Amino acid sequence: MKEYIKLAIRNLRARRLRSYLTVLGILIGVFLIITLLSLGEGLKETIMRELRMMGKEILYVFPGEISNIVTMFSGKAQIEKEAIDQVKEVEGVELVVPLNYKAETVRFKGKAKMVLLFSYPRKEAQELFKTDMGWKLKEGEWPNIYKEEEVIVGKLVPEDIFPGLKPGDKIEIGGRKFVVKGVLQSIGSKQEDSMIGLDEKIYKKITGQREGAQFLLVKIKSGLDPERMAQKIKKALTTIQKRKKGQEIQYSVLTNEKAGSIAGSILTVIQVIVFAFASIAIVVGGIGIMNTMFTSVRERTREIGLMKAVGAKDSEILLIFLFEASIMGFLGGILGTFLGIIFAKIIESYGQVHPIFYFKASITPGLILFGFFFSFFVGLISGYFPAKRAATLKPAEALRYFE
Amino acid sequence: METIIKLENVWKVYYLGKVEVWALRGISLEIKKGTFLSIIGPSGSGKSTLLNIIGCLDFPTKGKVFLDGRDIQKLSSDELSRIRGKKIGFIFQQFNLLPNLTAIENVALPMIFQGVKEKERLKRARELLELVGLKERISHRPQELSGGEQQRVAIARALANDPEIVIADEPTGNLDSKSGEKIMEILKKLHKEQKRTILVVTHDPQIASYSEEILKIKDGKIMGGVSEKEILWRK
Repeated sequence: MKEYIKLAIRNLRARRLRSYLTVLGILIGVFLIITLLSLGEGLKETIMRELRMMGKEILYVFPGEISNIVTMFSGKAQIEKEAIDQVKEVEGVELVVPLNYKAETVRFKGKAKMVLLFSYPRKEAQELFKTDMGWKLKEGEWPNIYKEEEVIVGKLVPEDIFPGLKPGDKIEIGGRKFVVKGVLQSIGSKQEDSMIGLDEKIYKKITGQREGAQFLLVKIKSGLDPERMAQKIKKALTTIQKRKKGQEIQYSVLTNEKAGSIAGSILTVIQVIVFAFASIAIVVGGIGIMNTMFTSVRERTREIGLMKAVGAKDSEILLIFLFEASIMGFLGGILGTFLGIIFAKIIESYGQVHPIFYFKASITPGLILFGFFFSFFVGLISGYFPAKRAATLKPAEALRYFE
Repeated sequence: METIIKLENVWKVYYLGKVEVWALRGISLEIKKGTFLSIIGPSGSGKSTLLNIIGCLDFPTKGKVFLDGRDIQKLSSDELSRIRGKKIGFIFQQFNLLPNLTAIENVALPMIFQGVKEKERLKRARELLELVGLKERISHRPQELSGGEQQRVAIARALANDPEIVIADEPTGNLDSKSGEKIMEILKKLHKEQKRTILVVTHDPQIASYSEEILKIKDGKIMGGVSEKEILWRK
């Protein structure tokens, strides 16, 4: 066996450029798969972790159908005050926190930038953020619940938007002065970390928004089944809908678990698609191997005839050629995995400086083994037909062969 | 004397498109141990076809071939490969050395397929290269050797598994006359000193004259032997 591997390596080295180019074909496919899978998996883990940070007793209410992601996140639709009140009255609901988002011009030390504001009823919600949502302070302290001129800012506000901003600094929003009391640790995405949190009342004065909310956080009493509570809330909201004729507003109520499974399944679909496309790249690499091997078999027809004349069995010729193909595949796999990991790590570190999203590339031993062996098998399969052709050549004809 | 290869009424047909070409027409022949035989004939006479069949590289269309008393058509392709590798050594006009391997590795190649250990292989290959006078060239690749040297490597390779018969197909065809003579001298020496069975196929009477026995072949038939007197006269 060792001898045949040695012979195979000799043959590959004799046609160095061609072997390298063939390896490159496989390498690109594996590189793509490893990079995309590790980043995709990392993204999924990050989102799941974020969702897990929140308590089980938290439900989300959105305007619009959950199936329509565009309306869900566009923020155009509003949850009417009437609906909010309805939710508050559902048995088992402990707290309802209406949330609103809007971008406004914010000034700090002469610089003016558009920043996303978010409003929350401070008195009720601040405690919920700390305990149920797991928000933690990086610097400073939480705003006083009775002082509406105090604000909290996301982690990226002093890092990206207003460099040098620190607790105690004054900023101006909509002509009013505010004091930054605290800076949060990362709470999730870049967008979430770039927000300024205001109390509901002052937010409404600045933006002119009326009653209502874009999004509700609902805390239910502990010990209740979140899924059943979600159904109860949904039912309560449907009742209002029926009462208000002519206004077709749909609401979606999500439990933490449900949100996780939706996010998870979206990401899984993305991963499957990414995997499918990257696999095509590997298949193309495999065809490259097959092509190289067929050419090689033709060029070496007389060598094959000679080996048979001096005693090589069909199976031994088959093995030598299979080794050649799978070595190319394996090499492409190792290099592709290696480069893919490096590239994923570069994106990961880039993401920490310029956060598109905070996430780690998920590089598991399984992924590495997959990178190595998938391409090995692709090589083996691609090499089989050329090797079979070589093995079944008739020695007398092969020896007579001239190009 | 012991028979190594025996052909019984061997016919061989080739198809060129739809045209049948009978390359061999009823050849019967026995090659006994220790002989030095030449088969001589013009091009197209069927001598290469005959050599392929004697060397068990090809099967006859009709008739039987026995290698060491075994009917080769009853052997599987793998069995035949092994037996051929063990019992027959080939020398070709085109040398057919593997270009990626050094001289010593080329000589050792047939031993790989017989499962000989590496150390032993290299030891024997070195001895054989010494025998053909290429001691200094063992780690050269074929393209770094002259035609005559390459053919001597091929002779050493033919002897690797200590075969019962060495078959040479126009061994001097690609060589100048001086290198050709050297090759034939080596074959003659192998026959004389090591009592090897040697079969040479050639179109050149000068080359054939190195052997003890000459068979003439024409149009796929054996036309009879050439007398010893004739050989001596040629010599």
